[in-house]
Amino acid sequence: MAVHDINRAELLETVVVGAVTSPEMSSMNPYDVTADGAPFVPVGAGGVCYTVKVGMSALDWAADHVEPGASIANPSGPANEALSLYACVGNRVVVRTGDAAGAEGVVTGKHEAFHAYKHVLVHLDDDALDRLMPGDVLRVSACGRGMTVAGQPGIACHSIGPELWDAWAPAGEAGRLAIRVARILPPEVVGMGSGRVSAATSVALQREPAYGLTGLRIGDVVAIREWDASYYTGYHEDRVTIAVVATGDSPVLGDGPATTILLSGPADAFSLAVDEDANLANLLGLS
Amino acid sequence: MILPGMAGVVVNARVGDLVFPWAADHLEPGVSAGNAKRERHQALQFLACIGNDVVVRSGPAAGAVGCVTGKHAFVLVDYPRNALELLAPGDRLLVRAVGQGLRFPDHPDVAARSCSPRLLEQLGIGEGGEGRIRVEIAAEIPSYLMGAGLGMSSEWANCDVMFTRSEVVERLGFGNVRLGDVVAMHDQDHRFGRGFRHGYCAIGVVAHGGHGAIPGHGMGVATILSGPSERFELVRVEQANLRERLRLPD
Repeated sequence: MAVHDINRAELLETVVVGAVTSPEMSSMNPYDVTADGAPFVPVGAGGVCYTVKVGMSALDWAADHVEPGASIANPSGPANEALSLYACVGNRVVVRTGDAAGAEGVVTGKHEAFHAYKHVLVHLDDDALDRLMPGDVLRVSACGRGMTVAGQPGIACHSIGPELWDAWAPAGEAGRLAIRVARILPPEVVGMGSGRVSAATSVALQREPAYGLTGLRIGDVVAIREWDASYYTGYHEDRVTIAVVATGDSPVLGDGPATTILLSGPADAFSLAVDEDANLANLLGLS
Repeated sequence: MILPGMAGVVVNARVGDLVFPWAADHLEPGVSAGNAKRERHQALQFLACIGNDVVVRSGPAAGAVGCVTGKHAFVLVDYPRNALELLAPGDRLLVRAVGQGLRFPDHPDVAARSCSPRLLEQLGIGEGGEGRIRVEIAAEIPSYLMGAGLGMSSEWANCDVMFTRSEVVERLGFGNVRLGDVVAMHDQDHRFGRGFRHGYCAIGVVAHGGHGAIPGHGMGVATILSGPSERFELVRVEQANLRERLRLPD
């Protein structure tokens, strides 16, 4: 089936830059507290991660919100807001400085920690990661902001680049947008991230023993029922939100894998098909 | 739309009043207390407990005694109407903080959070049947409505119930909820942070209103207790509200 039309010709390609971050700790006390009240040292957010990649499990790492690949931000607050708003999943990235200069990567997600940082996550190959340093500057070819779906004015597009749209290949089907998702989740699974600006933030999926996130992978495209992210994120009985898993899990209560919002709209605007291969690693050929 | 409600002094919306019929967002009833120094503000946030006395120490209302009734970004304090009509931003308030560290020796798996001894006593929280803790509540909230505040510390601010839209309030029958109501939040574990956990329950008090326009937000509920659901004997009553139970003066 043909890929459904978007307003491709109208979309700007602009440049935003970020520097590879370095993990930050805020106090003398290194411990956060798990859902069961045990202290742990959070590791995984910020900098470069060599071991965890898009396509791997989002669960069971000895980590808190592990960010796969390279984590970037702009040290200037307003410029980082622009980076967080304009960068879209699937956008091309080039390393501009340092030993990895010239290496090419792809935006795979965004991650916001409340009252802390906003990171854009970039997949690069192993050779580039080995040469990368915190502070190296990455150039993002930002494209996707302003996207609309032909014939579906109720669908809000957020952090989805045209590169991902084409690879994911949503199709028009009986007046609905037919899309593939790795799983469909109920609204109570959404934890931290309610009430935030959909375009730049991430929302957490709460891992809960009686509830199944089993098998969830970083890069999975997921649907959340009864959830609206048209502008801000929150419960809405008639809406569906489509997001991509950007980070690994968290031991913190009410927190969990951070998801980056791709689409949100009326439930009857979508036709959802569950397909385990609806993962960025497959769709974008990341390795 | 510009909607007031947060910070400062709200004279006419009080604990005991209905949550929703106000042109307000994140309506903080009575007085919102903070400290300009961040570290001290955090201490105020974490150490003040619901039911604590708060004495006005400066300005024309000096000497008036209020009561902590909730938490948001600020600590929320109810005062008698005659004091509210005198109070102004900048007046010094002294909180007699007691409650953090409170625990139940016979119920080690139930956590108390921002809950003063006075609150326990005057809410009549005590031994129920079959070794359970009896709590009178005015409303019960399903987990899928819990929004902003999940993932944060149990003692910090509160957790919003996503009553952003009046249709949801009406459809689910929450139109009569009042500021200061004691409510149960099902499938919520608020012991070490706040999150969804099947088979757990959190008890809280309605701290701020919430009929604003921003999705994901809404009526804020400050946690006072949390533990396995089977540890609680929940009793629905209409008058489970801080106004009556703490005998807050008009």
